[in-house]
Amino acid sequence: MPNSFVLRADERGYNKILSTGATATYVGGHPDAFITRFSSFNFGDYQDGRAGFGRVRVFGDEAFHHPGCNYNMHPHHNFIICAFVLEGRLTHINTLGGMEDLVSGDYYAFSAGSGGLHEELNRYAEPMRAIYVWMLPDQLYLPPSYARGHFDAAAGMNRITPLLGDAAGAIKLSQDARVSRLVADGPGGFRYRPRSAGHGVYAFVIDGTLHCDGATLKRRDSSGVWGAEEIVYETGRGDTDILLVETII
Amino acid sequence: MTGDALKRWICLGCGFSYDEALGLPEHGLPPGTRWRDIADDWVCPDCGTPKARFEMIEIPYADGQPRAAA
Ligand SMILES: [Fe+2]
Ligand SMILES: [Zn+2]
Repeated sequence: MPNSFVLRADERGYNKILSTGATATYVGGHPDAFITRFSSFNFGDYQDGRAGFGRVRVFGDEAFHHPGCNYNMHPHHNFIICAFVLEGRLTHINTLGGMEDLVSGDYYAFSAGSGGLHEELNRYAEPMRAIYVWMLPDQLYLPPSYARGHFDAAAGMNRITPLLGDAAGAIKLSQDARVSRLVADGPGGFRYRPRSAGHGVYAFVIDGTLHCDGATLKRRDSSGVWGAEEIVYETGRGDTDILLVETII
Repeated sequence: MTGDALKRWICLGCGFSYDEALGLPEHGLPPGTRWRDIADDWVCPDCGTPKARFEMIEIPYADGQPRAAA
Protein backbone atom coordinates (compact mmCIF):
# COMPACT_ATOMS: atom_id res chain seq x y z
CA MET A 1 0.00 0.00 0.00
CA PRO A 2 1.67 3.24 -1.09
CA ASN A 3 2.21 6.04 1.38
CA SER A 4 2.16 9.69 0.48
CA PHE A 5 2.10 13.26 1.67
CA VAL A 6 1.25 16.56 0.05
CA LEU A 7 3.08 19.76 0.93
CA ARG A 8 1.45 22.96 -0.26
CA ALA A 9 3.59 25.89 -1.38
CA ASP A 10 2.48 28.03 1.58
CA GLU A 11 3.16 25.29 4.13
CA ARG A 12 6.90 25.42 3.51
CA GLY A 13 9.41 27.12 5.73
CA TYR A 14 10.29 30.68 4.73
CA ASN A 15 13.41 32.71 5.41
CA LYS A 16 14.41 36.13 4.16
CA ILE A 17 18.12 36.45 4.73
CA LEU A 18 19.54 39.98 4.60
CA SER A 19 23.12 40.63 3.60
CA THR A 20 23.43 43.06 6.51
CA GLY A 21 21.62 40.95 9.08
CA ALA A 22 22.74 38.58 11.78
CA THR A 23 23.84 36.01 9.20
CA ALA A 24 25.83 38.53 7.16
CA THR A 25 28.94 36.39 7.43
CA TYR A 26 26.97 33.85 5.40
CA VAL A 27 25.05 36.10 3.03
CA GLY A 28 27.22 38.83 1.66
CA GLY A 29 27.45 41.32 -1.15
CA HIS A 30 25.38 44.42 -1.90
CA PRO A 31 23.99 46.01 1.29
CA ASP A 32 20.43 45.72 -0.05
CA ALA A 33 20.91 42.14 -1.15
CA PHE A 34 18.72 39.40 0.25
CA ILE A 35 17.98 35.76 -0.32
CA THR A 36 14.51 34.29 -0.02
CA ARG A 37 14.36 30.61 0.76
CA PHE A 38 11.32 28.35 0.86
CA SER A 39 12.26 25.08 2.55
CA SER A 40 10.31 21.88 1.93
CA PHE A 41 12.17 20.20 4.80
CA ASN A 42 13.63 21.37 8.09
CA PHE A 43 16.68 23.52 7.56
CA GLY A 44 18.29 26.26 9.62
CA ASP A 45 15.77 28.08 11.78
CA TYR A 46 12.87 26.31 10.10
CA GLN A 47 12.31 23.18 12.20
CA ASP A 48 8.51 22.76 12.14
CA GLY A 49 8.24 20.54 9.08
CA ARG A 50 9.47 17.23 7.81
CA ALA A 51 13.06 16.24 8.58
CA GLY A 52 13.57 15.16 4.98
CA PHE A 53 12.57 12.47 2.53
CA GLY A 54 14.66 9.34 2.19
CA ARG A 55 18.25 10.52 1.80
CA VAL A 56 17.21 14.10 0.95
CA ARG A 57 17.69 16.60 3.78
CA VAL A 58 17.36 19.97 2.08
CA PHE A 59 15.03 21.14 -0.66
CA GLY A 60 15.29 24.91 -1.00
CA ASP A 61 13.42 27.08 -3.49
CA GLU A 62 15.64 30.13 -3.40
CA ALA A 63 15.94 33.55 -5.00
CA PHE A 64 19.00 35.84 -4.85
CA HIS A 65 18.09 39.52 -5.13
CA HIS A 66 20.39 42.38 -6.21
CA PRO A 67 23.79 42.18 -7.86
CA GLY A 68 26.43 40.80 -5.52
CA CYS A 69 23.91 38.75 -3.53
CA ASN A 70 25.65 35.58 -2.42
CA TYR A 71 26.34 32.90 0.07
CA ASN A 72 29.96 33.69 0.90
CA MET A 73 32.59 31.01 0.45
CA HIS A 74 31.95 28.48 3.24
CA PRO A 75 32.88 24.88 4.02
CA HIS A 76 31.02 21.62 3.67
CA HIS A 77 31.63 17.94 4.18
CA ASN A 78 29.77 14.88 2.99
CA PHE A 79 26.57 16.37 1.62
CA ILE A 80 25.87 16.09 -2.08
CA ILE A 81 24.71 19.62 -2.89
CA CYS A 82 22.81 20.06 -6.14
CA ALA A 83 21.49 23.22 -7.76
CA PHE A 84 19.00 23.55 -10.60
CA VAL A 85 18.91 27.06 -12.03
CA LEU A 86 15.47 28.30 -13.07
CA GLU A 87 16.02 31.99 -13.86
CA GLY A 88 18.83 34.50 -13.97
CA ARG A 89 22.50 33.66 -13.78
CA LEU A 90 24.26 31.82 -10.96
CA THR A 91 28.00 32.10 -10.49
CA HIS A 92 29.10 28.96 -8.66
CA ILE A 93 32.65 28.83 -7.28
CA ASN A 94 34.11 25.82 -5.50
CA THR A 95 37.44 24.62 -4.18
CA LEU A 96 37.68 21.88 -6.79
CA GLY A 97 38.59 24.65 -9.22
CA GLY A 98 35.12 25.23 -10.56
CA MET A 99 34.08 28.81 -11.27
CA GLU A 100 31.33 29.10 -13.76
CA ASP A 101 28.03 30.66 -14.66
CA LEU A 102 24.87 28.61 -14.84
CA VAL A 103 21.65 29.76 -16.46
CA SER A 104 18.14 28.37 -16.82
CA GLY A 105 18.28 24.62 -17.42
CA ASP A 106 21.83 24.29 -16.08
CA TYR A 107 22.44 22.26 -12.96
CA TYR A 108 25.33 20.93 -10.93
CA ALA A 109 26.11 18.29 -8.31
CA PHE A 110 28.85 19.15 -5.81
CA SER A 111 29.75 16.26 -3.54
CA ALA A 112 31.60 17.85 -0.63
CA GLY A 113 32.96 14.50 0.60
CA SER A 114 36.17 14.89 2.61
CA GLY A 115 35.88 18.67 2.39
CA GLY A 116 35.18 21.51 0.02
CA LEU A 117 34.05 25.11 0.02
CA HIS A 118 31.68 26.90 -2.26
CA GLU A 119 30.20 30.28 -3.02
CA GLU A 120 26.86 30.89 -4.71
CA LEU A 121 26.61 34.34 -6.29
CA ASN A 122 24.22 36.43 -8.37
CA ARG A 123 26.24 39.16 -10.10
CA TYR A 124 23.30 40.67 -11.96
CA ALA A 125 20.26 42.89 -11.36
CA GLU A 126 17.87 40.18 -12.47
CA PRO A 127 16.96 37.82 -9.59
CA MET A 128 18.57 34.40 -9.75
CA ARG A 129 16.19 31.57 -8.89
CA ALA A 130 17.34 28.04 -8.23
CA ILE A 131 16.32 24.86 -6.47
CA TYR A 132 18.94 23.56 -4.02
CA VAL A 133 18.82 19.89 -3.04
CA TRP A 134 21.11 18.28 -0.47
CA MET A 135 21.42 14.52 -0.07
CA LEU A 136 23.33 12.38 2.37
CA PRO A 137 26.07 10.37 0.66
CA ASP A 138 26.32 6.57 0.81
CA GLN A 139 29.85 6.83 2.29
CA LEU A 140 31.47 9.46 4.49
CA TYR A 141 34.50 11.47 3.40
CA LEU A 142 34.55 10.41 -0.23
CA PRO A 143 36.89 12.32 -2.54
CA PRO A 144 35.02 15.55 -3.36
CA SER A 145 33.60 15.88 -6.85
CA TYR A 146 31.80 18.38 -9.03
CA ALA A 147 29.93 17.99 -12.29
CA ARG A 148 27.52 20.16 -14.21
CA GLY A 149 24.83 19.37 -16.72
CA HIS A 150 22.20 21.04 -18.83
CA PHE A 151 18.54 20.20 -19.26
CA ASP A 152 17.28 21.06 -22.73
CA ALA A 153 13.57 21.74 -22.29
CA ALA A 154 12.84 21.51 -26.02
CA ALA A 155 14.52 18.13 -26.39
CA GLY A 156 13.00 16.94 -23.13
CA MET A 157 9.41 18.03 -23.89
CA ASN A 158 6.65 15.64 -22.82
CA ARG A 159 8.85 13.05 -21.23
CA ILE A 160 10.78 12.37 -18.05
CA THR A 161 14.48 13.23 -18.48
CA PRO A 162 17.05 11.87 -16.01
CA LEU A 163 19.50 14.53 -14.78
CA LEU A 164 21.29 12.86 -11.86
CA GLY A 165 21.69 9.18 -11.00
CA ASP A 166 22.50 5.95 -12.74
CA ALA A 167 20.59 6.50 -16.00
CA ALA A 168 22.54 6.91 -19.23
CA GLY A 169 23.57 10.53 -19.71
CA ALA A 170 22.87 11.49 -16.10
CA ILE A 171 25.50 12.71 -13.64
CA LYS A 172 26.42 9.91 -11.25
CA LEU A 173 25.63 10.26 -7.56
CA SER A 174 27.24 8.45 -4.63
CA GLN A 175 23.77 7.71 -3.30
CA ASP A 176 20.80 5.52 -4.24
CA ALA A 177 18.95 8.53 -5.64
CA ARG A 178 17.91 9.92 -8.99
CA VAL A 179 16.74 13.35 -10.09
CA SER A 180 14.65 13.85 -13.22
CA ARG A 181 12.82 16.70 -14.89
CA LEU A 182 9.40 16.47 -16.47
CA VAL A 183 8.26 19.30 -18.74
CA ALA A 184 5.03 19.11 -20.70
CA ASP A 185 3.15 21.55 -22.90
CA GLY A 186 -0.28 20.13 -22.15
CA PRO A 187 -2.21 17.31 -20.50
CA GLY A 188 -0.43 13.98 -20.43
CA GLY A 189 0.14 10.91 -18.29
CA PHE A 190 3.70 9.99 -17.32
CA ARG A 191 4.55 6.74 -15.56
CA TYR A 192 7.43 6.60 -13.12
CA ARG A 193 8.62 3.24 -11.82
CA PRO A 194 10.74 3.62 -8.69
CA ARG A 195 13.68 1.24 -8.38
CA SER A 196 11.87 -0.78 -5.71
CA ALA A 197 9.04 -0.64 -3.19
CA GLY A 198 11.68 0.70 -0.79
CA HIS A 199 12.13 3.83 -2.89
CA GLY A 200 10.07 7.00 -2.91
CA VAL A 201 9.67 9.98 -5.21
CA TYR A 202 9.38 13.60 -4.18
CA ALA A 203 7.69 15.60 -6.96
CA PHE A 204 8.00 19.39 -6.87
CA VAL A 205 5.91 21.56 -9.18
CA ILE A 206 8.18 24.31 -10.48
CA ASP A 207 5.30 25.52 -12.65
CA GLY A 208 1.93 24.36 -13.90
CA THR A 209 -0.44 21.75 -12.53
CA LEU A 210 0.15 18.13 -11.66
CA HIS A 211 -2.24 15.38 -10.60
CA CYS A 212 -0.66 12.62 -8.58
CA ASP A 213 -1.99 9.98 -6.19
CA GLY A 214 -5.40 11.66 -5.96
CA ALA A 215 -4.05 15.15 -5.28
CA THR A 216 -3.90 18.22 -7.49
CA LEU A 217 -0.65 20.09 -7.12
CA LYS A 218 -0.15 23.66 -8.26
CA ARG A 219 2.89 25.89 -8.62
CA ARG A 220 5.46 25.14 -5.88
CA ASP A 221 3.26 22.44 -4.29
CA SER A 222 4.90 19.05 -3.89
CA SER A 223 4.22 15.47 -2.93
CA GLY A 224 6.10 12.46 -1.69
CA VAL A 225 5.02 8.94 -2.62
CA TRP A 226 6.72 5.75 -1.44
CA GLY A 227 5.97 2.04 -1.49
CA ALA A 228 4.39 2.26 -4.96
CA GLU A 229 5.31 -0.03 -7.84
CA GLU A 230 4.45 2.74 -10.26
CA ILE A 231 3.50 6.39 -9.90
CA VAL A 232 1.42 8.12 -12.56
CA TYR A 233 1.95 11.85 -12.97
CA GLU A 234 -0.72 13.64 -14.97
CA THR A 235 0.14 17.09 -16.21
CA GLY A 236 -2.55 19.76 -16.56
CA ARG A 237 -3.34 22.27 -19.29
CA GLY A 238 -0.63 24.64 -20.40
CA ASP A 239 3.03 24.35 -19.52
CA THR A 240 4.09 22.13 -16.64
CA ASP A 241 7.58 21.85 -15.17
CA ILE A 242 8.32 19.24 -12.50
CA LEU A 243 11.43 18.17 -10.60
CA LEU A 244 11.32 14.51 -9.50
CA VAL A 245 13.68 13.27 -6.78
CA GLU A 246 13.77 9.52 -6.24
CA THR A 247 15.52 8.19 -3.16
CA ILE A 248 15.79 5.04 -1.15
CA ILE A 249 13.58 5.48 1.88
CA MET B 1 25.71 -4.47 22.89
CA THR B 2 24.82 -2.81 19.58
CA GLY B 3 22.50 -0.44 21.44
CA ASP B 4 25.53 1.08 23.10
CA ALA B 5 27.86 0.98 20.11
CA LEU B 6 29.81 4.14 19.37
CA LYS B 7 27.86 6.30 16.96
CA ARG B 8 28.34 9.03 14.35
CA TRP B 9 26.46 12.28 13.99
CA ILE B 10 26.26 14.70 11.09
CA CYS B 11 25.71 18.46 11.10
CA LEU B 12 22.60 19.27 9.09
CA GLY B 13 23.95 22.74 8.40
CA CYS B 14 27.16 21.77 6.64
CA GLY B 15 27.86 18.01 6.74
CA PHE B 16 30.59 18.07 9.40
CA SER B 17 30.52 14.76 11.24
CA TYR B 18 31.20 13.78 14.83
CA ASP B 19 32.37 10.23 15.51
CA GLU B 20 32.19 9.16 19.16
CA ALA B 21 35.13 6.79 18.62
CA LEU B 22 37.35 9.62 17.38
CA GLY B 23 36.09 12.52 19.45
CA LEU B 24 37.40 15.94 18.50
CA PRO B 25 40.65 16.25 20.47
CA GLU B 26 41.44 19.60 18.83
CA HIS B 27 38.14 20.89 20.26
CA GLY B 28 38.58 19.38 23.71
CA LEU B 29 36.57 16.18 23.15
CA PRO B 30 38.75 13.09 23.69
CA PRO B 31 38.17 9.89 21.69
CA GLY B 32 35.26 7.93 23.14
CA THR B 33 33.31 11.03 24.19
CA ARG B 34 29.64 10.14 23.92
CA TRP B 35 27.33 12.49 22.07
CA ARG B 36 25.06 12.63 25.12
CA ASP B 37 27.99 13.85 27.21
CA ILE B 38 28.64 16.86 24.98
CA ALA B 39 27.12 20.09 26.32
CA ASP B 40 23.73 21.08 24.94
CA ASP B 41 25.08 24.47 23.93
CA TRP B 42 27.87 22.95 21.86
CA VAL B 43 27.79 24.03 18.22
CA CYS B 44 29.31 22.74 14.99
CA PRO B 45 32.93 23.92 14.87
CA ASP B 46 32.63 24.56 11.11
CA CYS B 47 29.30 26.38 10.80
CA GLY B 48 27.86 27.12 14.24
CA THR B 49 24.80 24.90 13.84
CA PRO B 50 23.47 23.94 17.30
CA LYS B 51 23.95 20.40 18.62
CA ALA B 52 20.20 19.73 18.38
CA ARG B 53 20.44 20.01 14.58
CA PHE B 54 22.78 17.07 14.19
CA GLU B 55 21.42 13.72 13.04
CA MET B 56 22.65 10.28 14.09
CA ILE B 57 23.82 8.42 11.00
CA GLU B 58 24.88 4.88 10.15
CA ILE B 59 26.78 5.70 6.97
CA PRO B 60 30.07 3.81 6.49
CA TYR B 61 33.34 5.58 5.81
CA ALA B 62 34.79 5.64 2.32
CA ASP B 63 37.93 3.55 1.70
CA GLY B 64 40.92 4.95 3.56
CA GLN B 65 38.80 7.17 5.81
CA PRO B 66 38.63 8.61 8.36
CA ARG B 67 41.97 10.36 8.20
CA ALA B 68 43.18 12.23 11.25
CA ALA B 69 42.38 15.62 9.80
CA ALA B 70 39.62 15.34 7.24
FE1 LIG C 1 26.73 25.71 1.29
ZN1 LIG D 1 28.12 22.40 10.54
